Amino acid sequence: MSATSYGWLVLAFPLAGLFVTSFGWRVLPGRLPGWLASAAIGLAFLASIGALVQLQDLPAEERSVVDSAWTYVGTAGVGADLAILVDPLSVFMCLVVSGVSFLIHVYSVAYMASDRGYARYFAYLNYFVFSMLLLVLAANFVLLIVGWAFVGAASYLLISFWYRRTTATYAGIKAFVMNVIGDVGLLIAAFLLLNETGSLGYAGVFEGAEDAFTRNDGTLVAACLLILVGAFAKSAQLPLHTWLPDAMEGPTPVSALIHAATMVTAGVYLIARTHPLFELAPTAADIGAIIGALTLFFAATVALAVTDLKRIIAYSTISQIGYMVLGVSVAAYGAGLFHLMTHAFFKALLFMGAGSVIGAMAGLQDIDRMGGFRRAMPFTFVTFTAGALALAAFPLTAGFFSKDEILAFTINRGGWYWALAIVGYVAAGLTAFYAFRMVFRVFYGDPVPEARELEEGHLAHGEPQNPMSGEPEDADVGFPGPEHHIAERSWPMKAAMGPLALLALVAGVVQIPGVTDVIEHFLEPTFEDSRFHDTAPTEGSELIGLVVGGLLAIAAIAVAFTVYLRRPGTADRLRERFAGVHAFLFNKWYFDELYDAVFVRPTATAGSFGRRVVETDFVQGFIVGGATGLVRAGTSFARAIQTGYLRAYALLLLLGLAGLALYFLIASS
Amino acid sequence: MTIHLSIVLFLPLAAGLVGAALGARLVRWVVLAGTVLVLAYALVILVDFDAGSAGLQYVTDDEWISELGIRYELGVDGLNLFMIVLTAVAWVPCTLVACFREHERPRLFFFNVALAETAVLGAFMAQDLALFIVFFDLMLVPFYFLIGGWGQGDRVRATTKFVIYTLAGSLLMLAGAVALGVLSTPDGGQISFSLAELEQRSVSEGTQQWIVLLFALAFFVKAPLFPLHGWVPDTYRSTPIVVLALLSGVLSKVGVYGFLRIVLPVMPEGSQHWQELFIIVAVFSILYGSVLAFSQDNVRLVVAYSSIAQLGFIVLGIFALDDKGAQGAVFQMLNHGLVVVPLFLIIGVIALRANGSESVARLGGMAFRAPVLAALFLLVTFATLAMPGSANFVGELLVLFGAFEDKLVYGLVASVGVVLAGVYMIRVFQRTMHNREGPPVESRDVGGLDLAAIAPLVAVIVALGVYPHFVVERTEAATVQKIEQARAFGGEQEARAPGGQRTSLPPPGDEP
Repeated sequence: MSATSYGWLVLAFPLAGLFVTSFGWRVLPGRLPGWLASAAIGLAFLASIGALVQLQDLPAEERSVVDSAWTYVGTAGVGADLAILVDPLSVFMCLVVSGVSFLIHVYSVAYMASDRGYARYFAYLNYFVFSMLLLVLAANFVLLIVGWAFVGAASYLLISFWYRRTTATYAGIKAFVMNVIGDVGLLIAAFLLLNETGSLGYAGVFEGAEDAFTRNDGTLVAACLLILVGAFAKSAQLPLHTWLPDAMEGPTPVSALIHAATMVTAGVYLIARTHPLFELAPTAADIGAIIGALTLFFAATVALAVTDLKRIIAYSTISQIGYMVLGVSVAAYGAGLFHLMTHAFFKALLFMGAGSVIGAMAGLQDIDRMGGFRRAMPFTFVTFTAGALALAAFPLTAGFFSKDEILAFTINRGGWYWALAIVGYVAAGLTAFYAFRMVFRVFYGDPVPEARELEEGHLAHGEPQNPMSGEPEDADVGFPGPEHHIAERSWPMKAAMGPLALLALVAGVVQIPGVTDVIEHFLEPTFEDSRFHDTAPTEGSELIGLVVGGLLAIAAIAVAFTVYLRRPGTADRLRERFAGVHAFLFNKWYFDELYDAVFVRPTATAGSFGRRVVETDFVQGFIVGGATGLVRAGTSFARAIQTGYLRAYALLLLLGLAGLALYFLIASS
Repeated sequence: MTIHLSIVLFLPLAAGLVGAALGARLVRWVVLAGTVLVLAYALVILVDFDAGSAGLQYVTDDEWISELGIRYELGVDGLNLFMIVLTAVAWVPCTLVACFREHERPRLFFFNVALAETAVLGAFMAQDLALFIVFFDLMLVPFYFLIGGWGQGDRVRATTKFVIYTLAGSLLMLAGAVALGVLSTPDGGQISFSLAELEQRSVSEGTQQWIVLLFALAFFVKAPLFPLHGWVPDTYRSTPIVVLALLSGVLSKVGVYGFLRIVLPVMPEGSQHWQELFIIVAVFSILYGSVLAFSQDNVRLVVAYSSIAQLGFIVLGIFALDDKGAQGAVFQMLNHGLVVVPLFLIIGVIALRANGSESVARLGGMAFRAPVLAALFLLVTFATLAMPGSANFVGELLVLFGAFEDKLVYGLVASVGVVLAGVYMIRVFQRTMHNREGPPVESRDVGGLDLAAIAPLVAVIVALGVYPHFVVERTEAATVQKIEQARAFGGEQEARAPGGQRTSLPPPGDEP
C-alpha cells in the first residue's frame, strides 16, 4: 500500500470509531464503547506507522505525496479537493496525535467508567481525533479550515461535556467563539492567497507565492498575520488565550488530550506548514516570535500565582506553546516540533497525574487544599514528578533537549532576537519553579484528610458539587460520575501514564545535538527549502545552551524547594509583601475583565439598544407604523363600507390603481 | 422520459382540491401524497438535469394572455433547480408533521398548504415576469389564511401586518413590472413580459434605476432585510410552526431569487447603479440581524433575526456581482432553507416538551433525557452557523470571497457576522439543550414521527457537507451567465449588442 493509502486509513479508523460509538450508544454494553474507541485510535496509530515506513522508502525529494478523493468544491475559480498530503511533517504530527490520543483513550476507559455519558464521551473523543488528523493531513487551505473548525467543535463539546454545569457550558461557548474568530482569520488569509497565487492547495500557494510576492509584500504580510490570528486563537496565545484556562471545565483526560497535547499545538503546526510564506514575510514571522515570547512569559508568571491545579497546568501549556511558536517563528522548525512532541508527552502525563489527584480529592482542584499525597499515591507521585522534571527542563529529560534547542536557535539569529531568548530563559526559570511548586504542594507536607484516608485504604467521596461554583449536583447524565478513579487502583490509567512517564524522561535521546538528531533529519525534506539553514546553531552553542538551561532548572527547583519545603510560610510572606503583584497575577493580568468591558458589554448593549430602540421606534414605529398608517388613511373610505380583513383587499385595489396611474403617467411623458 | 413542469407545478394544488373534496379525514393523506410525488418528480428532474448547460431546460411555453404579451412560460436552469428541489424537500416533512397534529377545519388547512406549494413552485419556475408576479402574489393567499386561521397569540394583528406589508411591496413590484413591460416595448412592437425577451430589449438607464428600486423594495420586504423586516417579529410569533418552517425556509428565498432571475439580467445598469446601496443594506442586515439574534429571548425570534443576517449574506453575494459571490448566494439559498426547516421543526418539538414555552430563559437541560433530539439539534446548529465542514460554510466562503474581490471592506465587515453567528446559535443550543432543566421542561426524546421528519433533512445537510460540489457544479453555468449579463455595463444603449452578447467591461467604481 502506498503512503497515501495509509494516510486515508489514518482518517478512516477514528471516523469508523465515531460512527460505532455514536450509533451504538444504546446497545454497546459496559466499557465496550471505550475499548472500541481506543482500538480505533490504536489502529490509526498503526496506520501512521505504515505511512511512515512507506514514506521512508521513497527518495528524500519525493516524500511529499498528495492524493485526492473527490472535488470538494470547484467553481468560479475557487477549487479545493478532498485531498490529503502525506509528507514528513504530516506523518510526524499523525504519529504524535494518534499515539498520545491512544494512551489518553485508554486512560479515559477507567477515568470515565462511572460517567453516565460514557459512550457520548468516546464518540466526541473519536470525533476530535478524526478532526485533528484531518487538520494535519489536509492538502489545501479549505480542508485545513474544515479540520480547524472540527477540532474547535469537538473541543466545545468536550469542554461542556458535563453540560448541566453552567460553568462548563459557559466555558464551552467562550472557547467556541474564540475559535471561530480564528477560523475567520484563516478564511480571509485563504482568500488573499487564492487571489494572488490562484490556488488553495499548499503546493500551489507556496509555488505561486514565490512569483506573486516580493519579500515582505504587504498582502503577504497581511495574509500571514491572519494565519497567525488563526494559529493564536487555537494555540491560546496572547491576546486570544482566555478560553484555555476556562476549558479546564472539561473532564481531565480531555484537558490532557485537547488542551495540552494536540489541538492547542495546531497553531504551531500551521506556522510550520506555511513556513514558505512566513520566510517570505519575515515581518509577520517576527511578530509571531515576539508574541510567542510575550505569551510564554505572561503565562509562566500567572502559573506562579493561581491555585487551581488544572489551571496551573493550563497556563503552563500556554507558556510552553509560546516556546513552540517562538521556535517555528524564528525558523527553528525541527526544534519547535520536537518540543511539540515532548510537550505532548509530559503535559498529557501531568494532566493525567492531576486527574488522579483530583480523583483522590473527590473532585477538588485547589492546591491549597492538597498536600502529602506522596505515600498515599506512590505511582501518581513518581509519574507526576517525571512530568514535572521534563517540564522544568531538568538535565537529560525530554523537555531539556527540546526547549533549549529553541532558545539556542533564537540566540543564533543574532540581533534583537537575543532579547527574546533572554525572556525565554527567565521564563524557563519560572517554569521550573512552578512545576515544583505543584509537586511540593501536592505531594509533600502534611497529608490532608483525603490523603490519610487513602493511606488507610478508602477513597474519599465528597459531596457531589461543582468545585468552581459550589452548586450541588447529582450523578446523572451531564454531571461527573459518582465514582472517582485514581491511577493506583485502575490499571488502564497506569498503563497510559507509565509509557508517558518513560517518554517524558528519555524521549530527548532522539534529538541530542550532534549525536542523534533523528527528528531533525526526518523532517528535513519538509524544511529543506528554508532560508535559515545558515543561522542554525552549531553543536557547540547548542551544548552551551543546554548547560545554561540545565543550571537554571536546577537552581529554580532549589528555590522552590526552599520556599515550599525548607522554609514553609515563605510563600505566604511573599504574597503579603507583594500583594499588588500577586493580585495582578492571580487575576491573570485582568484579561477577562478587559474583554468583558471592550467586547462583551458593548455587544450586549448594542443588542438591547437595537431591541428596545431601533426595533420599537424605528422599524416598528416609523416604518411599519408609517406604512400601515398610510394604508389606514388610504383605506378609511373602504373601511366605511367594508370591515375586517377585507380592508386588505381594498388596499390591493387601491395600490393597483395607483400602479396603473403611475404607468399612464410615465407612458404619456 | 419527457418531463413536464406543469405536472409538478399543479400536482399539489390538484391533491389539495381532491383531498378537500374527499373530506376532513382523508385530506391530510392526499395532500401528503401529493408532496411526496412532487418530491419524487423533483428528484427525477435533479437526476436528469444537464449540469453543463446554462440555458433553460424542460421549457413549457404557451400563450396565455396574448393581448398583454403574457405567456405561460416555465423552465429550469441552475438558478432555480435547487430552489424547486428545496421546495419539494421542505414540504414533505412539514406536511408530515402537520398530518399528526390536530387542526380545526382540516380541509381548509391542508388545501392552503397544498396551494402554497404550487404558488412557490410557480414563482420559482416562471420565466415570464407577469407569471412570476401572479405566483408571487398567490403565495400570499394561503399564508394569509394559514396565519390568520391557525396562528397563535395576537394573530389578527400579525396577519394584518404581514399581508399589508408584503402586499405593499409586491404592488410596487407590479407597478415596476408594468412600467418595464411598457417602456421596453420598441416602437410598433408587441408588449412582452417574457424574461428572455425583456433581456434583449432595453430601457434607459434612468428608468432602470427606479424600476430596480421598486423590485428591490418588494424583495427586501419578502426576504426580509433591514430595515424592512418590521412584519417579522409578530408574524414569526404567531405563525403555526410547520407553516413558519415553510415561510422562513422557502418563501424567503423567492425574493432574493428574483434578483438573480429578473433584476440582474433584465436591468444590469440599474443593478449596478444600486450595487453599493444594496451591499450596505446587506451588510447592515448581517450585523443588525446577528446582534439582535444574540439578544432575543424567544427561540423563534433568534432564528428570525438570524435569517435576516443569512439573507443579508445572500444579497451580499448577489450584489458583489462576482461569479464566486453569486454561486455562494445560490448555494446559500438552498443551504439556509435546508437548515431552517429542521430548525423550526425542532423548535416545535422543544415547545411540546416545555408546555409551549419558547423562551430561552425558561428552557434548558433537554439533552438530559433527549440525547437524540440534542444530537440532531447540534448538527443543525453547526450547519446554521456555517461551521466549516457544512455546506453552509462553502456557501458563505464563496459569498465572502466574492465580496472580498471588489468590495473588500464590506466583506471584512460582513465576516464579523460569521463570528456573531457562532455566538447566537451556540447560545440557543446551550440554553435549550444544556444547563439545568428550566421550570416548564419535561425532557423526553424525540418521537418516531418527528424523527422521520427531521432526520432525513439532517442527513441531507450532512451529505451536502461532504460533497458540496454536487450543487455548485449544477448551478454554475446559469449563475455565471447571469452575472456576466449584469456586469456587462452598457452605459449607452448601443453597447448592448443583440443576441445577449454584451461586451464584458469592469463594473464602475464607487458609486453612491
